[in-house]
Amino acid sequence: MNVDIQSLGTFNQLAHEGAEQATASMAQMTGIAADVDVTKISLVNREDIGEELGDREFVGVRFGYEGELSGETVLVFDSDCTETLVGELLGGSPGEEMARSGVEEIGNIMMSGFIDGWADYLGTTIDHSPPEYVEGTGAGILPPAPADAESDQVFVFKSRIEWLEESVEFYIYMLPEYTPLAEVMAEHADTESDAIPIDKLEVFNEMTTDGTERAADNVEMMTGIDTEAEVSQISFAPIEDVPKQVGNDTYVGTVVEFTGVPSGFMLVLFDEASARTVAEAMMPVDVEGEELTDQHKMAIEELGNIMTSGFVDGWANVLQTSVDHTPPRLVHDMGQAIVDPLAAQVGQHQEHAFIIDSKMVTDDVAFESEIYALPNEQELRQALDELLVERADETEADAEQIFQE
Amino acid sequence: MKVYSGQSSSEPESTPERVKVGIAEYEVTTDGAVLTTSGLGSCIGVAIHDPSVPVAGLLHVMLPTADDMDGNPAKFADTGVETLIEALESEGGDPQNMEAKIAGGSDMLDFSESGSGIGQRNAEQVRQTLDEYGVSLVGEDVGGDHGRSLRLEGASGDLVVKSANKESSTL
Repeated sequence: MNVDIQSLGTFNQLAHEGAEQATASMAQMTGIAADVDVTKISLVNREDIGEELGDREFVGVRFGYEGELSGETVLVFDSDCTETLVGELLGGSPGEEMARSGVEEIGNIMMSGFIDGWADYLGTTIDHSPPEYVEGTGAGILPPAPADAESDQVFVFKSRIEWLEESVEFYIYMLPEYTPLAEVMAEHADTESDAIPIDKLEVFNEMTTDGTERAADNVEMMTGIDTEAEVSQISFAPIEDVPKQVGNDTYVGTVVEFTGVPSGFMLVLFDEASARTVAEAMMPVDVEGEELTDQHKMAIEELGNIMTSGFVDGWANVLQTSVDHTPPRLVHDMGQAIVDPLAAQVGQHQEHAFIIDSKMVTDDVAFESEIYALPNEQELRQALDELLVERADETEADAEQIFQE
Repeated sequence: MKVYSGQSSSEPESTPERVKVGIAEYEVTTDGAVLTTSGLGSCIGVAIHDPSVPVAGLLHVMLPTADDMDGNPAKFADTGVETLIEALESEGGDPQNMEAKIAGGSDMLDFSESGSGIGQRNAEQVRQTLDEYGVSLVGEDVGGDHGRSLRLEGASGDLVVKSANKESSTL
């Protein structure tokens, strides 16, 4: 089963338009101005779905759908904003019962728009079940991943919608069953030439998990902080949406350009608090104050370097090739501003990008780090083509070992 | 693109509406809304204000020229500036009266070994296209090795530039 870049691009656009239609329906109904911020397709391990929701409380509306595509989709928003949202819709301060039916109504309108957009494009009808009101914490708000056991990884379409007046976000998740989606994607593939076999994309994801494991080991060795690789996913988005993945908090980290097949850029980013924690764990003496000193930055540079090496080794190992990289450049700036020059450099040759996104966390101290890679799309395809089947088997074995813990 | 006109604010003294401009997007206001865009690295923010109408617009471009790539005109410096100027014209603006200010185009994280970086080329292309339309460039804060966020006061045309590690300045 192959998917091509064109059809990934088309499906991404489709999800984006569906989300825009849904948002427009809501705006009309409530008078709230909202914007679809990002839409992306991710290939993610089923246990990692919705990881970005953290442990916040959500309410939402869930649908099942079937037809040419089948699966579930859910609109979720922060419980905290329910009152405001429903207040705009009904006026005044609604009771709990009213709030709930308000959410259902908004959800129904939004999600019907979303599903209809897909059906229109596919030239088919997609039936959906009546909306079901749901409440939950973090990823618990999402429906269970589709049960077809063909793969450990699932495609997730995710849109983040931002409410302009307040800092409130909504998410639309669409979790299609794997096989019908893959069939539809293959049908809508325009050319064979730039097709990527889905199973190889999965291998690549596993490769990234392997790389993140190694990077986490290196952090552990260097800082003594017990660190775990948490999530790895490969996403696909228009190039102009790439910087938005990171957001606008200030980050500290390192960037390298890597060469070989594929070439591209790799970033290791820490939020400022994590950077301080992890840097101080590496320093012989205690540091006073809240400022990030040059010593902190030097420690981060060193850490970025060994994390990058670990990550790149993981790739090179699977690809049986050497991947070289430039010395790390230290960055300390707004997240989006760090990523945009890299996206622009990649964007000179391609309209969409694969974003490889991994995260590591620890239970001991407040420390979180993200690794992003932006590979050249054509070269990624070539690397995947060259990936021998035996190597793929080996990675699968590796991945299983990792997941066994 | 949406044009914001004053229907939503019933009280004259209320704070102006804030409108966010994303990457490869632009917005135009005729009622003094505040247009913002954030996280410019090598990207450039182009703010154009025509005080005679008044009308103002903000554009966030990513790459210098559209060349043969299709797609969203607001992604590129050449087609983006063109599109913004035309949008301002359709709201009654005149390039003769328009004043442009630009910020961004940093060369941070530029790994290119030959030629000038994207940030610099973005800035050159923006200047060139503004010049072709006869729009005067009255202020700029470009280059360097840091990111920027912008706030355009639609009423006055003031462009406030903020950086992560620096004091903000007004163009």
